[in-house]
Amino acid sequence: MQKINRNVVLALLSLTSLVFLLFQLCYYKFYLSQKNGAAFSKVRGSQSGQDSTQWHVVRKFLGLISSHNIPVYLIDPLILGLVDKDIEQIRSSPDGPSPECKYFCSPRDFTTFALLDKTWKHEVGLFRTAEKMGFQWLKIINKDPRLDGMDDLSGMEIPLHYIFKLASHAIHLVVFYERSGNFLWHGPLRLKQHMDRKFVPFRKLHFGRYPGAYEKPELLLVSIDDLKVRIPKNPSSFLEEMSHSRFLECRYREARAFFQLYPDDASLDAVEFRKKAKSLLHLAALTLNNLGVKFWLSSGTCLGWYRQCNIIPHSKDVDLGIFIRDYKADIIPAFQKAGLPLKHKFGKVEDSLELSFQGEDDVKLDIFFFYEEGDHIWNGGTQAKSGKKFKYLFPKFTLCWTEFVELKVHVPCETLQYVEANYGPEWKVPVKTWDWKSSPSNVQDNGVWPVDEWDDVIQIY
Amino acid sequence: MDEWKPNPAVKPHKKRSWYLAWKYKLMNQRALRKLCQTGAVLFLLVTVIVNIKLILDTRKAAYEEEEESAQDYDDEMLNVEVPRHPVNNKKVLDVEVYSSRSKVYVAVDGTTVLEDEAREQGRGIHVIVLNQATGHVMAKRVFDTYSPHEDEAMVLFLNMVARGRILIFTIKDEGSFHLKETAKNVLKSLGSQVAPFLSWRDMWTFVGKKGGEVYGEKHAKSPALSTWGDPVLLKTEVHLTSVEDAECHWPDTELNRRRKRFCSKVEGYGSVCSCKDPTPIEFNPDPLKDNKVFDVPVAVIAGNRPNYLYRMLRSLLSAQGVNPQMITVFIDGYYEEPMDVVELFGLSGIQHTPISIKNARVSQHYKASLTATFNLFPDAKFAVVLEEDLDISVDFFSFLSQSIHLLEEDESLYCISAWNDQGYEHTAEDPSLLYRVETMPGLGWVLRKSLYKDELEPKWPTPEKLWDWDMWMRMPEQRKGRECIIPDISRSYHFGIVGLNMNGYFHEAYFKKHKFNTVPSVQLKNVESLRKDNYETEIHRLLGEAEVLDHSKNPCEDSFVPDTEGRVYVMFIRMEQEADFTTWTQLAKCLHIWDLDVRGNHKGLWRLFRKKNHFLVVGVPASPYSSKKPSSVTPIYMEPPAKEEGAVAVPAVAAAEQT
Repeated sequence: MQKINRNVVLALLSLTSLVFLLFQLCYYKFYLSQKNGAAFSKVRGSQSGQDSTQWHVVRKFLGLISSHNIPVYLIDPLILGLVDKDIEQIRSSPDGPSPECKYFCSPRDFTTFALLDKTWKHEVGLFRTAEKMGFQWLKIINKDPRLDGMDDLSGMEIPLHYIFKLASHAIHLVVFYERSGNFLWHGPLRLKQHMDRKFVPFRKLHFGRYPGAYEKPELLLVSIDDLKVRIPKNPSSFLEEMSHSRFLECRYREARAFFQLYPDDASLDAVEFRKKAKSLLHLAALTLNNLGVKFWLSSGTCLGWYRQCNIIPHSKDVDLGIFIRDYKADIIPAFQKAGLPLKHKFGKVEDSLELSFQGEDDVKLDIFFFYEEGDHIWNGGTQAKSGKKFKYLFPKFTLCWTEFVELKVHVPCETLQYVEANYGPEWKVPVKTWDWKSSPSNVQDNGVWPVDEWDDVIQIY
Repeated sequence: MDEWKPNPAVKPHKKRSWYLAWKYKLMNQRALRKLCQTGAVLFLLVTVIVNIKLILDTRKAAYEEEEESAQDYDDEMLNVEVPRHPVNNKKVLDVEVYSSRSKVYVAVDGTTVLEDEAREQGRGIHVIVLNQATGHVMAKRVFDTYSPHEDEAMVLFLNMVARGRILIFTIKDEGSFHLKETAKNVLKSLGSQVAPFLSWRDMWTFVGKKGGEVYGEKHAKSPALSTWGDPVLLKTEVHLTSVEDAECHWPDTELNRRRKRFCSKVEGYGSVCSCKDPTPIEFNPDPLKDNKVFDVPVAVIAGNRPNYLYRMLRSLLSAQGVNPQMITVFIDGYYEEPMDVVELFGLSGIQHTPISIKNARVSQHYKASLTATFNLFPDAKFAVVLEEDLDISVDFFSFLSQSIHLLEEDESLYCISAWNDQGYEHTAEDPSLLYRVETMPGLGWVLRKSLYKDELEPKWPTPEKLWDWDMWMRMPEQRKGRECIIPDISRSYHFGIVGLNMNGYFHEAYFKKHKFNTVPSVQLKNVESLRKDNYETEIHRLLGEAEVLDHSKNPCEDSFVPDTEGRVYVMFIRMEQEADFTTWTQLAKCLHIWDLDVRGNHKGLWRLFRKKNHFLVVGVPASPYSSKKPSSVTPIYMEPPAKEEGAVAVPAVAAAEQT
């Protein structure tokens, strides 16, 4: 072995150590700067001013789309929020020059616009022009949900979102599609593997985390910050709608699997019942929506949606849920006016309220009112002959939109927990004999109504 | 480094003075020094390790942050990109072609692209066209040149193939009986030595480039009339050219990009792929004023007949008032070529995995297509339903635009159809005239959404029923006495010869002579009179003015109707009850109109034209219009020819499934 001077070795090691330290420092610095870059808003936020990049990018984008006759409208929640404060003024002076850049110059990463699919022709020319103007763009496509429910159809993928980026600002263009049930739908934004994850900070997008359902908006052409844009006529109600817009697609694939196991009942009776139940549900939805009462599919109707994307032909009634805080006294007269007489009323507003209306030919509409209590939500049941009370417990849930028998309706977003609470883990197996007092897995005895209250809490017509 | 141990016994040779001094000074503190050295080494090692770890940590953190920033937006279904086979970079293709009495096959680079050993099928000359740059199959045809006229079709096809393509020929069973001189000359011009001498039951294979070299040819002569030539197997190599050489150089536009994609994949569509002066694929017909059907979705029901689909879409896109955005083509099966045609025209297409067999399959395809149409266009109140083997009249949408409000308002209507079952060259005359009929003709029709959603869709025949959708729709349970509106002169033309229930003879007899409107923007006459009650008034008015024909003459004779023009005539036939069509069927037969089942009737009344006169036929006494019969007239009775009855009944059943 060669003689090695240990001191030389020591010196070498010290040197290495020093180099490492230096490297570490550099690396840390680099890392920090990168992090700042990703969150470029922080830097830019401080220097918002009249000569804002945002305003210029929006102006360019509006020029681009108007040169291609594409009717987009503004749905950016931040800007609409600002616009809403001055809505009266903006409405009254649609053409006035604005003294300062109030809306489009506010600091943000994106400006969001909406596009109705059927109003443009998917011309490729748009993207050519965009590129010439300096925009970088990204298109997010996915399966067409309107064909998802169909057996074995495969269409072309449809564009759901576009992002146009210029300098440090990006335009998010959300494509809305018309769906059965007379509403607009936008898809979720999901990146495919090969896509550039850093194209824009996707997390900060206001649309795209979930699919959403919206009413068709009435639009208003306004001039704000010297730019002519179309906005929803009533920005505040649009923003309110946006906060509850999450949409759930029916689980078509699971429904198909279900029908493989348990073939659908195609008998004439089943066809007839479905038709009646569907029209009853349409009538009920119309009535409640006119009253502004929020409702959702409950019990068997909800199970039918979740399990088979259809009405369960042997269920014999339509079940809806309403939060008791949304109860209105006009519900009963409104239904009676719609041609649905009250069949029975159990409980009272303070406790276990349940209404039942008589639809066409024995098809019944049951409306259960739900009470929030601690960490759960419950609704009540009453046995007419004994005055016994029952309580059905559910874990807390929020409401989502869905499409069901050509209708836009609410269902609990946490549908699985809801259905499991009601029907137990075996909910996937159809049961034809069902006893509402004992079959549900979430039923509890809840005492007996005092006899002197019976006249009030047990009304049968 | 662990191997290294400080060795105090070894004395360093070269020492600097300060170091020496330092060393001697510490000489007697050896243990301490050794400790210090080890300590230093350990410290350094630890620094290194800590450093590395730190780097790894920051890396990981940075990476996680990135991941996190987008993970909500990741596609759940990770699209595992299947690595595509690199496009054959090889410049040479191995081609194998086999010809024999009962089997033919063609293999390109070991992949079988054609194999036919079915009995009593695929007789004649099989032709395969390969792309000279990629080796992809662009077209596959079989011409039964044992039968007449098929050689003409082959010549037509070969002329359409672009120069430079690779052509492969092989004969199965027999391919020479009706292979005429013209066809033989075309084959000869392709470089075949044998083609001019091909004879009865010879076996033959040939590979060559159109307008270029020959890659190989093999032939086996049939030794006797009763036997076939020996099977031949041709193995050869084909040299590929560069992609640029295989393409045309059209100006770079969006349309031409579609054209290029199409033309590099398929062959046999003629001038659409011609390098010089290709036929347009965008038509821009005149828009319609006040077009009521601009927003009505159009569903084109297609199978695997891409050449038909091509012809159909051309005529559809040329019709005035067409809105290409509302057109969806539904293809029954995962066929590529029909989809290529759809994409060529920039339309949207949807493929449908076949679920059932034959008639039931068509029926299920119809259901899926209709449901999908109303899903895709939830606002639509109607849908136009077309099939891939129809020509569409230039005023198809104008016709619908003028009549669609009736379907919306008149509950007694079942559909509007562009097809008049009885509208032949010699029986239809007036492009502005409409009828109400109790039968549903199909072949280009409008369906009301409420009818489909509320009545038809829920009880549509299930796959195991094996029913024809159109026969089912004509059943009284579905039709419920409602009627369809049809034009006198059809706005669609059925050109399909190959079909599920279709053959050449049948087409010749019942469809070829059908009248088809070619006049643009026809103004329909008195559309309001088609409403339920108005129509009765109209019929009574017509019958009131109609001249009663001479019932002593034979109605089949031409002289039965006087040589006039523009008059209205009426004749009365015997019709004992509503379902008694004995005389009508005989009359229809001798008039050479649709006689396979009863079509085009309205309460025992038929309306058509003879010698340019309106000709009404009333069934007495079943028809409510019988009261118009003068008492002196005896309704004509025509007996079915007794012997032929059995023979007639059979095709009637077969053909009833027909349209």
